Amino acid sequence: MRAQLMRRTLPSLVLGLLFLSTPAMGSCLDKYQELLAQLQKQADIMQRTSLLLDPYIQSQGLDKDGLKEHCRERPGAFPSRDALQGLGRWEFLRTLDTTLGRVLHRLTALQRDIPKAQDLETLNRAKQNIRGFKNNIHCMAQLLPGSSETTEPTPTDPGTSPSPTPTSDTFQRRLEGCRFLHGYHRFMHSVGQVFREWGESPSRSRRHSPHQGLWKGTRRMQLSRKNKRLLPRGQLPR
Amino acid sequence: MRSAVDDAKTPEQSFWSNWSSWEEVHVQNSLGHDPFFVFPKDKLVEEGSNVTICYVSRSQPNNISCYLEGVRMQGEQLEPNVSVFNLNHVAFIRETGTNIYCKGDQGDSIKGIVLFVSKVLEEPKDFSCETQDLTTLNCTWDPRSDTGLLKQLSQSYTLFESFSGKKTLCKHKSWCSWEVAPESQEMYNFTLTAENYLRKRSVHLLFNLTHRVHPMAPFSVLFTDVSATNATMTWKVHTTGNYYTLLCQVELYGEGEVIQRNVSVEVDGKQLFGGLKPDTEYRAQVRCANANHFWKWSEWTRQNFTTAEAAPSEAPDVWRNVKSVQGHSVVTLFWKPLSKLQANGKILFYNIVIENLDRSSISKLLSIPAPANGTELNLDQCLYQIHVTANNSVGTSPASVIIVSGDPGNKEVEEERVKGMEDGFSLSWKPQPGNVTGYIVEWCDHPRGPLCDLQWKSVGPTTTSTVVSSDAFRPGVQYNFRIYGISTERVPYLLEKKTGYSQELAPSDNPQVVMSNLTSRSFTLSWKDYSIESQPSFIQGYHVYLKSKAGQCHSGSEKAVLSDDAVCCKYRIDNPKQKTFVVENLQPESFYEFLVTPYTSVGEGPHGAFTKVTTPDEYSPILIRIILPMVFCILLIMIICYLKSQWMKEKCYPDIPDPYKSSVLSLIKSKENPRLTIMSIKDCVPDSIEVLNKQEGTRKSLTETESSKATYLYLLPTEKSYSGPGPCICFENFTYNQAASDSASCGHVPVAPVAPLSQLGLLTSPENLLKALEKNYMNSLGEIPAGETNLNYVSQLASAMSGDKFILPTNPPEPALCSEYKMQMAIPLGLASPPSSGSSSLSSVTLLDEGEHYH
Repeated sequence: MRAQLMRRTLPSLVLGLLFLSTPAMGSCLDKYQELLAQLQKQADIMQRTSLLLDPYIQSQGLDKDGLKEHCRERPGAFPSRDALQGLGRWEFLRTLDTTLGRVLHRLTALQRDIPKAQDLETLNRAKQNIRGFKNNIHCMAQLLPGSSETTEPTPTDPGTSPSPTPTSDTFQRRLEGCRFLHGYHRFMHSVGQVFREWGESPSRSRRHSPHQGLWKGTRRMQLSRKNKRLLPRGQLPR
Repeated sequence: MRSAVDDAKTPEQSFWSNWSSWEEVHVQNSLGHDPFFVFPKDKLVEEGSNVTICYVSRSQPNNISCYLEGVRMQGEQLEPNVSVFNLNHVAFIRETGTNIYCKGDQGDSIKGIVLFVSKVLEEPKDFSCETQDLTTLNCTWDPRSDTGLLKQLSQSYTLFESFSGKKTLCKHKSWCSWEVAPESQEMYNFTLTAENYLRKRSVHLLFNLTHRVHPMAPFSVLFTDVSATNATMTWKVHTTGNYYTLLCQVELYGEGEVIQRNVSVEVDGKQLFGGLKPDTEYRAQVRCANANHFWKWSEWTRQNFTTAEAAPSEAPDVWRNVKSVQGHSVVTLFWKPLSKLQANGKILFYNIVIENLDRSSISKLLSIPAPANGTELNLDQCLYQIHVTANNSVGTSPASVIIVSGDPGNKEVEEERVKGMEDGFSLSWKPQPGNVTGYIVEWCDHPRGPLCDLQWKSVGPTTTSTVVSSDAFRPGVQYNFRIYGISTERVPYLLEKKTGYSQELAPSDNPQVVMSNLTSRSFTLSWKDYSIESQPSFIQGYHVYLKSKAGQCHSGSEKAVLSDDAVCCKYRIDNPKQKTFVVENLQPESFYEFLVTPYTSVGEGPHGAFTKVTTPDEYSPILIRIILPMVFCILLIMIICYLKSQWMKEKCYPDIPDPYKSSVLSLIKSKENPRLTIMSIKDCVPDSIEVLNKQEGTRKSLTETESSKATYLYLLPTEKSYSGPGPCICFENFTYNQAASDSASCGHVPVAPVAPLSQLGLLTSPENLLKALEKNYMNSLGEIPAGETNLNYVSQLASAMSGDKFILPTNPPEPALCSEYKMQMAIPLGLASPPSSGSSSLSSVTLLDEGEHYH
């Protein structure tokens, strides 16, 4: 039990340390590479199912054969990796921010199905991590070229909404919550990959003017919606 | 459907309304698009209830499987598309409910319900109310198990007082506060009700408020007037009304003792404690209760204090060890530290007063700082009285007095053995007829260590036995005890000696055995270095084990079977001081193995490695005794012969027999032939010279000297004709041989060719000489008839047939041959020089003068 608690709390502590230099404390890192590395680490930690999904499955009694198979992300609940890779950097950040905002709402709704204080604490720590991550996203958006032209992120919908209609059926709600958390971790995994691709091609981002980068990304996103398969995986759209 | 009023004020027997009329609904119409449904949704039941689960499917036939927490359920099909599952005595699994779900045969669709199983609500236990200040009642209870679920909150508790009609909803699960009415209501009748979604439970409590007073803990506990033996304790109590008296209980803990007092207190408490121990820390505590109606003691309030020091109450226990060193007494004084009860404070130093009883005016004072427990004194042979006192910050202890004299008092007494027990050694001694003031038993805690760690035990004059115990006693260690009597003059004298083991152990080592005197029939074993005093038990004797192939045991031994099933003979030596043993009755040329091990009352030594030995041959010693002297004698004779060989040769068989000593001469003389006489050499003229060719490096002529070379040079000028190594020429004179002349037969001897006398003069010239030599020598190789000689001289030329080593080489073409003149004459031993390997290429030539004769 203690080991399990350690598994859950340790990543959260690491995340907390990562957030110490984030805008949550009032200022942003002005070094692109450092902020990008921080986002990558945060995404890597937040993708771990031991933070949310595993405790949820255990507390709801879903760790049984025949049930675990149905605890899979619903297609379209979160933007796919291809969709994220197809976004320009600015749009990617905006999508990420919006999606995580919805995740926060959904996690708050999940709290009523979690009676144990210990599990509630785990959930609250995850919510704090997401808030910190969102702050870093805003900092990254400021570092991206053309940040002066940015406005407050508006909801965009590259996929479908991660918040399906709540149901009064406890069992169905339980399954949906499980699927949602599964999708959340998968989504953070994809986010981490995209950030890693950012790190692999820093020169490319410097070659393009801020304006170019922002809007080319947007156009490529529109293009990618039409023909996603034409885009090679692992490359940022130009 | 029917309904009823649900209110706490309403009695249990509430009235229900009438049932509504039945409504029929077709289930298929309510399914919507889903393939099947599971009912009932989110039902809440108590643990142990019976629950029926059903599903309704749209299609027929259906292949739907239903599971309870992953375990498939067996149901009953009511209709083609309706099945039910009866669950009996459902159990609580988790607070989030029990998952029951059904899946179609494709496995892609899943429907389920959560059955919330609540624990059964139990009655609160140990419901009780009390007050500390008569203004607030604190009611507590044991809530038992929590029935909270995801769908149901934990049970709630309400407190209802029937006299006042007041009711309060408790905020906590296990306790609740109730404000006491200002009108001083004394009686209270409480009803505590626990309630959840499914059930209610109530308990009641009726009491008088003044009987439920639980005072608060006293405070301001202080100690005043603290001396070495007395202290005063004061404390205060919280007021619970003007007319209440409290009973306070005071406890004092110190040095394992408890002092308990009960004190009646209204406002302040006070208690005097006497008979305390000096320099002792005490722990005091006090608690109070209602003196009129006891309900509960308050919590303890604790405080510590320490009494003041006092002078040490006892004299230190002193003992001594006396050694005489070069006419002086080295006295080591030991004393035991005073116990805490005796010291009455921290001992700072020990005072030692040494008083010379022989010269009473002389005394000496030593101050030894604590925590020393001994000191060494160098005294003369006088009688001394030593006073030892312990001192702390307050005063001095009584003195311990001991008399020390130059005589250690260690008279020779016989040592007795004692048997140790688990708790030590039980020692007893004979009572002394004279007056003794006490006895002292002395021993060393570590007798094997460099520091003996002297210990002693003092007993009274009427005691003649004691048990000596020590944590230092170890099994297998021999401890020696000395029992002293203390005379009325306080002079100790040795009474008895005891020795023993707290626990005897079997010997762990065997002696190092040396074998000697090995014969064909016996050998001797000895283990002189084996110390019986340093063994882990008293050695009672030794066992000598002897293994042999024959396996027969002679008298004095018995057969024994070892742990490895080997059979051997065992000899027993009952005297531990006997450290030699002769093993007898052995067979010659036989292999034996032996082992010597000590035995004690607790067993014998280890049966380790046996020593191997093989007895020698029986006749070898005899043969050696005979042959060795014989060989010695022979060698002696040979040495003598060798040393005296020349003398013997000369005496017994000289090379040239002395004709004067010849028996033939006597025969001739006896035949009266005066003409016959011995020829003198000076009368002879040499007729020939034989040249012998001898290989270089062979033995030279006995007469070869440096001077011979000069002689040779005279005859043979080689300075010009000879250069470098090469064949040399030796000359040999021909001595008259009486035997040969007599026999007149030299046929078997190569006779040198006789040269004409005229040729002799030619020899003066070297060239002529060489020529003559060459010629005659070549002739000499042939057989010369004896009749061809003109003179009756017989050449003593050595021939190859005679076996002489100075032979002519039979292989003339070989180079590096040496010619030698062979002198046929006897030479005194003193003139003989050893043969030189490095002989010159030319041998010497010696020409004997006529008439010169050697005997």
